[in-house]
Amino acid sequence: MTVKTFSRGVFLPHYKEFSENKSITAIPLPKEVVIPLHQHTGAPCRAVVKPGDEVKAGQRIGESDAFVTAFIHASVDGKVKAVEPRPYFTGTNVESVVIEVDAKQGETAWQERDVSKLNIDQIKDAIKNAGIVGMGGAAFPTHVKLSPPTAIDAFIVNACECEPFLTCDHRMMVEMTDALIAGARLIQKVVSAPRVIFGVETNKPDAIQALNAKIAGETGFQVVPLDVKYPQGSEKQLIKAVCDREVPPGKLPFDVGVVVQNVATCIAVYDACRYDKPLIERVLTVTGDAAARPQNILARIGTPISHIIEHCGGFKGEAGKVIMGGPMTGWAQTRLDIPIVKGTSGILLFSQAMVAETQHMACVRCGKCVDHCPMFLYPNYIGTYAETGRFDLAAEWGAMDCFECGVCVYVCPSNRPIVQFVREAKRQIAAARAAKN
Amino acid sequence: MADQKLSLTLSSSPHLRSSDTVANAMQDVLLALCPVTIVSIIFFKLHAVFLILVCLAAAALTELIFRKAMNKPSSLHDGSALVTGLLVALCFGPATAWWTAALCTFIAVGVAKELMGGLGWNRFNPALFGRVSVIMLIPIFTYLSSIFVRLRPALGAIDMVTQATPLALLKQGAGLPSLANLFVAFPGGALGETSALALILGGAYLLYKQHITWEIPGAMIIAVFVVALLFGQNPLYHVLSGGVLIGAFFMATDWVTSPITPQGKLIFGAAIGVLLVIFRVGLGPTEGTAFSILIMNAFVPYIDRMTKRPKFGEVAVGQSAVTAGQPVSKTS
Repeated sequence: MTVKTFSRGVFLPHYKEFSENKSITAIPLPKEVVIPLHQHTGAPCRAVVKPGDEVKAGQRIGESDAFVTAFIHASVDGKVKAVEPRPYFTGTNVESVVIEVDAKQGETAWQERDVSKLNIDQIKDAIKNAGIVGMGGAAFPTHVKLSPPTAIDAFIVNACECEPFLTCDHRMMVEMTDALIAGARLIQKVVSAPRVIFGVETNKPDAIQALNAKIAGETGFQVVPLDVKYPQGSEKQLIKAVCDREVPPGKLPFDVGVVVQNVATCIAVYDACRYDKPLIERVLTVTGDAAARPQNILARIGTPISHIIEHCGGFKGEAGKVIMGGPMTGWAQTRLDIPIVKGTSGILLFSQAMVAETQHMACVRCGKCVDHCPMFLYPNYIGTYAETGRFDLAAEWGAMDCFECGVCVYVCPSNRPIVQFVREAKRQIAAARAAKN
Repeated sequence: MADQKLSLTLSSSPHLRSSDTVANAMQDVLLALCPVTIVSIIFFKLHAVFLILVCLAAAALTELIFRKAMNKPSSLHDGSALVTGLLVALCFGPATAWWTAALCTFIAVGVAKELMGGLGWNRFNPALFGRVSVIMLIPIFTYLSSIFVRLRPALGAIDMVTQATPLALLKQGAGLPSLANLFVAFPGGALGETSALALILGGAYLLYKQHITWEIPGAMIIAVFVVALLFGQNPLYHVLSGGVLIGAFFMATDWVTSPITPQGKLIFGAAIGVLLVIFRVGLGPTEGTAFSILIMNAFVPYIDRMTKRPKFGEVAVGQSAVTAGQPVSKTS
């Protein structure tokens, strides 16, 4: 077995043992769901329902005329209680539809269709109408990503799940292999890619085996085992490892003839095409050393994390940190009424012992961040210049090309919050450029 | 759940950290300096112990005083002051007066590090800056000696083969120690120059722990060897004697004051090696290492800029994709 990878990056502890063997289970509905109208990259949606309206699961409740956007759907049967700004996981308030969940949920009869009869436009429409976004965390609208202006010769299924702790993609690969492959075939058809490549890290041997068994008869399908190195699941690093192509700074995967979609997204595409079912629920991992019962769950979009944590047995010992997403790129939360959204791949509960020290020192120029940066940037200079307000120099050393994977902070012996500095630098550089124009 | 009182930490991603800390690295440097320190103590007994203790105490005190005066939190726990103190001590010979060593340490930690902004902001290697201040501030040190001369503790005669360093002997054409002697242990010159083997052991440990990489010591030692050959001198004596090895493994590799990239490190190391032999041959046998490293310290920002690597994707890769990635209109 040839194992591929990219240069630099870092070997992280996996922490997958908490939940990697736990089958996906659906959790009971909460009393109330909060569905943000802007949980994707692109234009926010406007509500098309008002307080007092009765809604059905799968009904469209938010839309926009923009191209780069993703429709929002009710995830439950219930009554709209409010349309108002509600706290969002990034710390801001986002206009949201609050739905009181009906005690009695109607059986939604999803229409089954023969997906092989759908043409490219029908598939794209199904994806757009289902409000599908990249479910690995970036939440970029999928129908936009599937309209590349260039010829595509490889469609890569991002099955790395390189963030420690998270196991939802892993479980889906093992438990929903058929839907995953069917979804991948639909996307392959849309982008006319001769090759479909599953990039899977080698710490998921059962997933590799399951995929290999099912693709045996498919032409153009291939499983590529990848080294367990972070950030292998970043698009540019994945394309480099699988196809040995580098996406230039400021360019997108289609510029080198590649489209990438993650596992959960492929399955959502299949559901949308097969059953005309919008993206109203997702699989996510609830885990961490302070999680009483770590597991992989299927939950409706808009479910408050408090409900999910409670369902999973609450905290074990004293909680130190609650993170939405993975431990390297996720967002720390201070309140638990925050709803999960389409891009939420996990909820991590850390004990006080797992909470990283927040004090930092000056850069001692050890060079570890430079050695490990997967984008070949200079996090040492970017961090120091951003910290001292020299944003022009931060830009010169590559601040705008950073995708905030967090490797530099992980290896830094001075514990410098370089990602935080980079975010500030990006804001300031963008503002300065806007002011110039 | 709502009634459960939670104290949740809010901080930017990532939420995981490796176990690397500056304090751990400094501990490893101190550990790596142990072999040569022990050899120097075996040779110079109390003289070495006293000198080392004076420098360690002066370093710690200086840092405490400066941080207090500048209203900054204490940074003693990071261990960098102790490393500087020990390195200053190792740069001196056993006969050095304690007040000289103490003032040099004060200048190293107080002026060269803390006044520059503290660890990370200093452009010059603090220990070497302190060490050469004794040369640059000769009148002050002479004056000090006249005051403190009576406070010199009686530690007995110094047990040395000769007061002259191997380099001085080389220059005078006097009887030289054998290369084997020089390699294992030879009591000439400074405390940190007593054993090439001990220094190489320490350097190997730092390499093994990945605190340093091979480029700087490698380029520096090769450059010394080659340039000494060009001058028609015995290259092995140049490499094994004086400050070359302690400089190559412990001074030139100082994180803060050396370049970031491998190419930068090669340039930096090689330049130090070249300057060092020129200084030794042209100017005299002492402090060639210290001055060449300090001079190259000044060039570090320029070397970093000069050797800046291209970003991911800036160099065209994957030309095999002949049609892929081309606009659809052109290919269809």
